[in-house]
Amino acid sequence: MTYVWAGYGITLAVLAAYAGWVVHRGRSLK
Amino acid sequence: MWRDAALVAGKDLRIELRSRVALNQVAPFAVLVLVLFAFALDPDRDVLVRAAAGLFWVAVLLSSLLAVQRSAALEANDGVADSQRLSSLDPAGIFLGKAAAVALQLAVLEVLLGVGVVVLYDVHLKGVLTLVATAVAATVGLAAAGTLYGVLAAGLRVRETLLPLLLLPVVAPVLIAATRASEAALTGLSLDVTPGDWLRLLAVFAVIYLAFGVVAYGALMEDS
Amino acid sequence: MNTRNTGRRGTGTAVTMTLGIAALASLAATYAVGLSLPRTYEQGDYSKLIAIHPGIAWASYVAFGVTALASALWLWPRTRSLAWDLLAGASAEVGVLFTALTLITGSIWGRPTWGAWWVWDARLTLSALELMLLLGYLALRRVPADSEVRARRSALAALLAVLVVPVNHYAVQWWRTLHQGGSLSLTPKDALDGKFIFAMVLGFLAMTLVYAWLTVHRFRVAQLEEDLVDDDLDAALEARRREAVTA
Repeated sequence: MTYVWAGYGITLAVLAAYAGWVVHRGRSLK
Repeated sequence: MWRDAALVAGKDLRIELRSRVALNQVAPFAVLVLVLFAFALDPDRDVLVRAAAGLFWVAVLLSSLLAVQRSAALEANDGVADSQRLSSLDPAGIFLGKAAAVALQLAVLEVLLGVGVVVLYDVHLKGVLTLVATAVAATVGLAAAGTLYGVLAAGLRVRETLLPLLLLPVVAPVLIAATRASEAALTGLSLDVTPGDWLRLLAVFAVIYLAFGVVAYGALMEDS
Repeated sequence: MNTRNTGRRGTGTAVTMTLGIAALASLAATYAVGLSLPRTYEQGDYSKLIAIHPGIAWASYVAFGVTALASALWLWPRTRSLAWDLLAGASAEVGVLFTALTLITGSIWGRPTWGAWWVWDARLTLSALELMLLLGYLALRRVPADSEVRARRSALAALLAVLVVPVNHYAVQWWRTLHQGGSLSLTPKDALDGKFIFAMVLGFLAMTLVYAWLTVHRFRVAQLEEDLVDDDLDAALEARRREAVTA
């Protein structure tokens, strides 16, 4: 079960991190 | 187009004959790869014989990187690219000519590697016709794809590191198909997927890249 | 302040706000449903991954397809516009994310069935190749060049990558059938139960929305970056002109 949590967790972490970066970059460029 | 192709192929091959880069650098590199594989895998067991087809084609692939780099570099120096663009040579012809030159160099390398594999890995050649057909189809595809990516990355300072990254994933199916077909020829085993199927795949790959090159090489030349 | 698209500070608009909320909501639902799926006989808890892995893989294919389509639209003279090139690049970057996640979640999901992290399953191997192709494409885009040159180079590279996909598909498929009699199905037999299908479909929806939201924002960021380059160029030209006048 740990690995399943890892799978769900990594997915969320990666997507959230990228989302955060892209929003931040959008704000800093404007 | 064909006349221009012959002209360019002749030029590239003549440069090679005079500079002997493929002979003096790429060929030893190829044999070196075979030797390194023997060091890495234990030559006392059957591993080398069983893996021979794959190791052969990996050596070919790595050598093709060098051959393609060299072919692209010929144009990158001394404003050759500009004079080519200004000349009335058909870009499709230039593409075919360069690809043909690379293919010929690879063919010679493959013969050398073939001897190497027979001698160093104790491989007994069987199904030679299939082996040759596979080599032809694979080599044409490799040369076409390599020449295309060569011009794509041409003139870029990062060409040396970018070209392998671009080219190797693209030629992965050639590696798979060529190895499986060669293995089938050497072992004589017949399976669900026949050497004929693999050969057809190699042919499709070659046709795709030749066609793309003929159509797009001109546009790519403009940008380098 | 660059007011492209909106008067706001960032790259958001009313549309992307709605899209974002929908994406977040469906993702949350997917997680909730997925994690509450029952265990199965064959795969235990691992079958819960059916909620996210197929959706992620699907999104990675969509990303690849959008990059290819946008590249083709740029190449076609009648529809040529820098926007298509920027979209191709944005989709490829998001595509790298989803492809990498496909490999990670696929590897985890296969572990109980395969007993190992990786056994060269046909579909995952193809995803690995796709990842390499995308990384090469992005590396090519990062080489400094005039926007039109970069666009043409990237568009042609993207088309080449797409053309090789069917060849890859057959090569890897045939290669693996020699060893395993068909690529391993990750779907456990008893997961045809409605709950699992529902979770999977929800996952498809959520991942597609997330992909769309991320790509739109990445695309807008790319547009802003282009504007910046243009502004810098204009400023430099202006400075040169002023020098010429006073000289």
